[in-house]
Amino acid sequence: MRALVAIAATTFREAIRDRVLASLFFVAALLLGASLAAEEITIGDQAKVIRGLALGGISLSASVMAMFLGVGLVWRELEQRTIQTVATRPISRTTFVLGKYTGLVVTLAALVAGMLLLYLVLIGTHLGTPHPSLAGYAVLLAVDLMLLTAWATFFSTFAGPTMATVFTLSTFVIGHLADDIHRFGEQAATAGVHGVAGVLYWVLPNFQVLDVQAQAAHEVPVPLDHVLRAGGYGLGYTFLVLLAAVLVFERRDLN
Amino acid sequence: MPPAIEIRGLRKVYRTGFWMRPHVGLESLDLEIGRGEVFGFIGPNGAGKTTAIRCLVGLQAPTAGEARILGLDARWPLARRRLGFLPERPSFHPHLTARELLDFHARLFDLPAAERRRRTAHLLERVDLGRFADIRVSRFSKGMIQRVGVAQALVQDPEVLVLDEPMSGLDPPGRALVRDIVLEERRRGHTVFFSSHILPDIESICDRVGVLLEGRLQAEGTVASLLADGVAYVDCTVIGPEDPPLGATVLARQQDRWVLRVPPDGVAPLLRDVLAAGGRVLQVTPGRRSLEDLLLDEVARARPVHQQRLGVLA
Repeated sequence: MRALVAIAATTFREAIRDRVLASLFFVAALLLGASLAAEEITIGDQAKVIRGLALGGISLSASVMAMFLGVGLVWRELEQRTIQTVATRPISRTTFVLGKYTGLVVTLAALVAGMLLLYLVLIGTHLGTPHPSLAGYAVLLAVDLMLLTAWATFFSTFAGPTMATVFTLSTFVIGHLADDIHRFGEQAATAGVHGVAGVLYWVLPNFQVLDVQAQAAHEVPVPLDHVLRAGGYGLGYTFLVLLAAVLVFERRDLN
Repeated sequence: MPPAIEIRGLRKVYRTGFWMRPHVGLESLDLEIGRGEVFGFIGPNGAGKTTAIRCLVGLQAPTAGEARILGLDARWPLARRRLGFLPERPSFHPHLTARELLDFHARLFDLPAAERRRRTAHLLERVDLGRFADIRVSRFSKGMIQRVGVAQALVQDPEVLVLDEPMSGLDPPGRALVRDIVLEERRRGHTVFFSSHILPDIESICDRVGVLLEGRLQAEGTVASLLADGVAYVDCTVIGPEDPPLGATVLARQQDRWVLRVPPDGVAPLLRDVLAAGGRVLQVTPGRRSLEDLLLDEVARARPVHQQRLGVLA
């Protein structure tokens, strides 16, 4: 357990010393600030538009960061050969993968917390007290990022960053179209298309159930029941993806 | 008490290319290294030294056979508890300082904080990097990386030390430092297994040597036993002949004084010819066979076999 914490701490330290990540965070902060400017060019319910833009900016920035850092998480250790000294310590490969993953999740949690704090300061003070649905949004965004990071980690155990980015991005996009795929399958005329859509719907991750950004923007309550069920689904799926990542990494030769 | 390192029938076959052609990296390696021994592993590039070492330290899974460290299967994390390892061309997390790097590795052994601080400070001084302790390793030269690599291999005071090309990239003081560390470890009863292309170092500090060629152990034994039939050539200084005798290599000539090098069995004919022609023999100096001669002889002897195998299985 202490080895896992040591690996996670080093991963966290590496991430926060990364200039590219600092730049991404700066862009995200700019996006948040810029959402205030929407007030000047919006007709109608300006508050909803501002909240939607700001929360969308947070979700998008965090997802980009998760993908950017996740796809190189294990691969970079192999490429830089830093794995050769770490993996020959009395730790299992499982500890290594989970330590790297934990370090990245903690990094993302810190970044999202920073962005939400900025949101509360910039938007909250401008538009009044935040709605409780923001808490549901924050919890499910955290689970969403854990799942996305698990996928990126899984792909980085066997693919280079370009391929891992393509795979992770595809999973992310398809996962955000899960309900559409399901509806498409329901309406399909042929049994084959219906079957394929059904398999895709059940096998691929459903990121849509974790996305309550619209409710938070419109200040529509997010039921606790939904947060628990969707959160449980996301965490269960994350566990399975990490298990696959560990199984792949346990079997590969480290050169 | 089990030996420090035990390798039995170790075989490694890689699958490479689009068609996943098999390539034999290591062929049935058997090796046993006792506690407190310094064992040198030599061989040309591509001989399989690094593959054997990677299987031994758990980075690669052997296709067949097994490797044990202090009696434990090398694939188990527990077996690596008393192992220190320096890989070939080591690389470390560039964002860490030398002190942070050693502390991180010490944490992987679950050492308490006070012990980590003490070991880190001691080792950085030991490898002469004390004044660079708080500089990021990304700013280190190749030689400094190698030194910090040696330090991290010693971080938990291991009983078994495996070093892959530890002298690589080091200046003469650095090489002397590593030699001192290896000898110090031996004095403390620890085992050192290392590969190197710098054969005089191997010759001077190893108790035993293994010669690996094309994945096979060609020769193994103490340095003295491997070089027992010791004389590799003989240098003769003679006065007299107008032309160099056949079979002799001219090392130097000054008027009618020649310095000639001949194989051991060429000494008698050379001296006979010189004396018969009325010349004089001033000096006869046998040249000791070195590990380099041994390695080159083994390579030359094994080449026809290797041409047939070439590592690729039909």
